Amino acid sequence: MLAPGAGLEPILKTENLWKVYRTGKVEVPALSGVSIEVMPGEFVSIMGPSGCGKSTLLHVIGGLAQATSGRVLIDGNDLTQMSDAERTLLRRHKIGFVFQRFNLLPTIDAYHNIAIAQHIHGNGFDPHRFETVAALLGLKERLRHKPSELSGGEQQRVAIARAIISEPKILLADEPTGNLDTKTSEAVLGLLRQLNKDLGQTIVMITHNPDAAAYGNRVLHMRDGMVVNGAAH
Amino acid sequence: MIGHLVVRNALHRPVRTAITVIAVAIEVTLVIIVVGLTSGLVLDVAKRTEGIGADIMVQPPSASVFMAFSGAPMPITIGTKLAQLEYVQAVSPVLVQFNSVNGLDLVYGIQPDTFRQVSSGFVVLSGTELQDPNDILVDDVYARSRKIKVGQMLHVLEHDFHVAGIIEHGKGARLFVLISTLQEMSGARDKASIFFLKCDRSDHTAAAMDEVRELLPRYEIRPLKDYMSQITSSSLPGLDIFINVMIGIAVGIGFLVTFLSMYTTIIERTREIGVLKSLGASKPYIVEIILSETSLLCVGGVAAGVGFSYLMRVILIKVWPSLSILITLKWICLAGAIAMVGGLLGAGYPAWLASRKDPVEALAYE
Repeated sequence: MLAPGAGLEPILKTENLWKVYRTGKVEVPALSGVSIEVMPGEFVSIMGPSGCGKSTLLHVIGGLAQATSGRVLIDGNDLTQMSDAERTLLRRHKIGFVFQRFNLLPTIDAYHNIAIAQHIHGNGFDPHRFETVAALLGLKERLRHKPSELSGGEQQRVAIARAIISEPKILLADEPTGNLDTKTSEAVLGLLRQLNKDLGQTIVMITHNPDAAAYGNRVLHMRDGMVVNGAAH
Repeated sequence: MIGHLVVRNALHRPVRTAITVIAVAIEVTLVIIVVGLTSGLVLDVAKRTEGIGADIMVQPPSASVFMAFSGAPMPITIGTKLAQLEYVQAVSPVLVQFNSVNGLDLVYGIQPDTFRQVSSGFVVLSGTELQDPNDILVDDVYARSRKIKVGQMLHVLEHDFHVAGIIEHGKGARLFVLISTLQEMSGARDKASIFFLKCDRSDHTAAAMDEVRELLPRYEIRPLKDYMSQITSSSLPGLDIFINVMIGIAVGIGFLVTFLSMYTTIIERTREIGVLKSLGASKPYIVEIILSETSLLCVGGVAAGVGFSYLMRVILIKVWPSLSILITLKWICLAGAIAMVGGLLGAGYPAWLASRKDPVEALAYE
């Protein structure tokens, strides 16, 4: 059986990626020459202690922050050569984000939190896609509730629905279970695995939890801004 | 979608929304009432002047169209010469004084006989016409606002008058005394401020005006038909400036309140802005959300302001029945436009700031 994405071009590729923060005269390298590849359909976990640069890596990969040097290619598009507007456009069409703190818009209900992603995407509201995603994530009965009326697990499922509603090429998850209890974490991680297996969704997940990292089919370890080793299941 | 988000955002902070709406409403009310008061005052004077029924008004050279600023520089003998003109049927001299004690009112000093010829006379609602040198006639609006009755004393122009009668409003001033009395009081013996002329036929007005111009070449000769249309706020020196200053203050209020409201809003919603950016929202999208919310608040403020204005008019007229406040559709629209422009300008900088927020920093904001 071929590994996911075998024989295809990487959906994500970084080449000697550096991100250096400058505070006055002090330079702090958050990423020090990171080179990774993620093939289509892979579920890659990036694990490391706090401060190792994994969140910075996710932000740079996702186009939220700009690299100091090196290259980031998403589906063949070099983010490092793009303007802010171009990165925003790429993010809109090719990247989905899931955050540790859910980051739902508090004033609107779950339905509109998901729908706004479609609205921003610009292709209009697709009711069939919406129904499919809502059903897949078990949200049909909770759509008319605001985030404050949802449990942590439900909020994260809404966030995942929002992230995948526009069929991104890659889903970036930043400690998605960081604010959840064990049982809920397992449920959310199970959902991510199901999205990867059933829909072929490419996922890059950062975590400091080895149990969570094990849900991926490959784990990369980071320390001090570098990828120190990687493994495939 | 943006509409839904904007409405929900506005409802999420009801106190902030209410304060912003009220501030915009105050701005709108200020413009409408100030313009309404000034326009109403001006047009009320014009309407009552036109209501005298005369055909022509003769004033000294460079006199203001507002009789309050006329003075009394014309010899009353000019009236005799005017009466001899071919197309002039009747002439009535009037001495105008401005009473600023216990209010702001014009007082007409008249010759009852000639004034009757020019104006078809007063409609006396109670009492009698002017008979005694210390008699005064007041119109019904003035009487109602001051609770004045026939027979009581009225202190006007530092003189105690006896209220001889209450007349129907609309014939020039609200207060009428004998011209001889007013001339004596103001030291303007044998002088008049204005001559009102009645023509033998209304279609002879132009010809009569030509005759008067030939007789008095530098004098101000005005037809009273359509007098109201001749009176504008620019006829009163400084009034346009006053209106523009008040509009400027109103815009300033709207600008500052909206600026503060939206500035605090974007600070509060920093993380949400980061979320929208992570979803791929562009800078114009973020700006559109902020400006849409501002527009919603301004629309609410305009609607409330128009309501307040009508309510304010009812209250002011109840307290001061002689006031005239003119609320027109034109100025409702203008006040609304001014509020919208002020609000959108005020929200411009916060919207720009929001669009430029760094998404990583915004997402980390507590």
